Amino acid sequence: MEETKRILLPGDLVAEGPKRLDGCFVEKGNTYAAVVGILSGERVIPLKGFYVPRYDDYVIGIVKNVRFSGYEVEINSPYYGTLSSREMREEFKVGDVISAKIMSVNEVNDTELVEPRRLYGGEIIEIEHVKVPRVIGKNASMLAMISESTRAEVLIGKNGRIYLKGGDVALASLAIIKICREAHTSGLTERVKEFLEKETGTKIGAPAREREEGEAPENREVG
Amino acid sequence: MKMASSVSKVKLLDGNKRLDGRGFKDLRDLKITAGVLKKAQGSAMVEWGRNKVIAGVYGPREVFPRHRTDPYRAIINCKYAMAPFSSLEEHGRAGPNRRAMEIGKVAKHVFENTVFTNLFPKTMIDISMEILQSDGGTRIAGITAASVAVVDAGIPVKDLVQGVSVGKVEGKLVVDLGKTEDNFGQSDVPAIVSLRSKEILLYQMDGMLTKDEIHESLDLIFEAAKVVRQKQADALKEKYERIEENVASEKPSGRSEQGEEEVM
Repeated sequence: MEETKRILLPGDLVAEGPKRLDGCFVEKGNTYAAVVGILSGERVIPLKGFYVPRYDDYVIGIVKNVRFSGYEVEINSPYYGTLSSREMREEFKVGDVISAKIMSVNEVNDTELVEPRRLYGGEIIEIEHVKVPRVIGKNASMLAMISESTRAEVLIGKNGRIYLKGGDVALASLAIIKICREAHTSGLTERVKEFLEKETGTKIGAPAREREEGEAPENREVG
Repeated sequence: MKMASSVSKVKLLDGNKRLDGRGFKDLRDLKITAGVLKKAQGSAMVEWGRNKVIAGVYGPREVFPRHRTDPYRAIINCKYAMAPFSSLEEHGRAGPNRRAMEIGKVAKHVFENTVFTNLFPKTMIDISMEILQSDGGTRIAGITAASVAVVDAGIPVKDLVQGVSVGKVEGKLVVDLGKTEDNFGQSDVPAIVSLRSKEILLYQMDGMLTKDEIHESLDLIFEAAKVVRQKQADALKEKYERIEENVASEKPSGRSEQGEEEVM
């Protein structure tokens, strides 16, 4: 993002002529911003927002209610996800943390989840969902860097929940909080790299000397 | 202060100056700050002359009570409340009253016409405006603050909306009336407008204006709204640029220092 960044406010003109863009609306043939965001090329990157379920997203949720037909799962959104127990092997309890995939979202945002997996023994932190792409980074570079230097298993849900397990969880959380605080500034990857190198005292990207085969941290990007 | 008997006795204008030394078209000092509350989704504070208002936005979230759910759009709840200590006189007694409920209702209509409620069916958005200090024109200060708070919450809207009041004092049209001008003047018109679409979202009138005066007052409203919008925009931009500056001036800090900081 080298081009000059401009903060857009609702009602600001984004483009002449009607364009279908996220965070924008068309009125009288012109396209205007609907949220606070940064104009980057022809895209509006929102600076704030809440998660609305989308098809195919991986999310991290908390089981809130058990019913005969399945579970109600809180997914850090105005809408609950429902998990049908019909084709499920596992049983969950209220309070369980799970990762799941969104199978369908209908026009009133009723959300069906599939592929549940119970997460245990780790920690979850919540970030703003608009900052999830920054935590993942280009080609998951940021994510790879965090899990390499902290040796934590990092699982990112599109809904802004991050599950951390093993390794230096505290340092990984600090790095993620730093990313979120500085999310829309440039040169972020470099600063996070510096931060992690300083904290761990090891260079990132150097061949892992003391790490044994098979001990490499599991690094998964969910969503 | 009894109103009726003293109308003619109060001198509200002195040549081209108003009570507080302003010209006819001058606004009072206006300061807007975005993001003043940690726990609210979005918030803003407006200090407008001696008015002081905090607005907070919560949601969209599940509708409560559930039977009010609208399957086509988000419902909006607006609450306007004056603190008991906000005013010298009768306004600020605790609890909702007829006036507060009316203002909540008109504010609700403003936001029903600016928020893209159709994007969030089955949810509700709570907007509350708390008047901490009052000196005339609190409803427009409240809605101006609420508009910034809604945008700060990341809720998609058609535009930032601005509040301005105009009125007639000793036969002259004046902008942004203070409490005394409001009480003893001839007319008082609070209005909420959207500058982009030139829409009027709220227009209430106390007292009388002639047809010509109404046309003239609308021009004054839209002119003054530009000033208000600029302040709103500055407040929102400042919130995000502030972060950038902090980063630029940040010393390389270690875990021990950062550990104390609050998670967002």
